[in-house]
Amino acid sequence: MTFIRPRLRKPMGYALAGAALAVAWAVRGGPSWFLSIVIEVGVLAIAITTYLRGGQDSDEGALAGSRADERQKLLGLRSWALAGNLAMIAAFTGLTIAVAARAAVWWPFLVILAVAGFGYLLGLSTYGLAEEDPADDTSPGHQARSPASR
Amino acid sequence: MRNRVREQRTQREMSQAELAAALGVSRQTVISVESGRYLPSLPLAFAIARFSDLTVDKMFDPDEEAGT
Repeated sequence: MTFIRPRLRKPMGYALAGAALAVAWAVRGGPSWFLSIVIEVGVLAIAITTYLRGGQDSDEGALAGSRADERQKLLGLRSWALAGNLAMIAAFTGLTIAVAARAAVWWPFLVILAVAGFGYLLGLSTYGLAEEDPADDTSPGHQARSPASR
Repeated sequence: MRNRVREQRTQREMSQAELAAALGVSRQTVISVESGRYLPSLPLAFAIARFSDLTVDKMFDPDEEAGT
C-alpha cells in the first residue's frame, strides 16, 4: 500500500469494501436489489468524509489520514482493542441468547468468537509472548561486580 | 512526571507546531507531552532531550508530578 498516498489509503479501503458489499447485494438479486445502490452511495459518502477528515489538524484527522505518530497510533490501537472486546461480548451474548431460544442459526456467533479468539492467540504469538524467555544470564559473579551492589 | 519541554520550547521561542515538525510528531502530541498527559517512548524522549541539548533525566523528572 506504500504506492498509495497515505491520505487516500483508508478512504480507498472503505470504498473497495463498500463496493464489494454492494456488488454482493446486487448479485443476490430479488426485490431489494436497489439497496446495493444505497450501500454504494452511503459508502462513498463515508469514504469522502474520511478523506476530508484526513486533512484536519487533529488526532482523528491523523488517524483518518494514515499519518499518525506514536501517541495517535496508541490511541487507535486502544480504540481497536475496545472495539474487539465489545464485538466479542456482543457475539457471546448473541450465542447465549440464540442457544437459549433454540434459534436455528447460532453458529455464526460461535464462528465470530472462534475467529476473535484465534486472532488474540495469533497476536500473542506474533508479538513475542510465545517466545521462550532466555535464561537469566546474571551470575553471582556479575552481581558482585555490579556497581549497584557496591 | 514533570518535564521541561514547554520551558525549553519557549526559551527557544518556538511554537508547538514548529517543535512538532522538528520532532516528526503531531502538534497534539507535543501538547500532551508538555502537559504530562502522555509519556513519550524512549526514542521520542531522547529526541526531545537531544533537541534541547539536555539529557533525558534532566528533561523528564520522575520524582515530580506534572504541573507542580
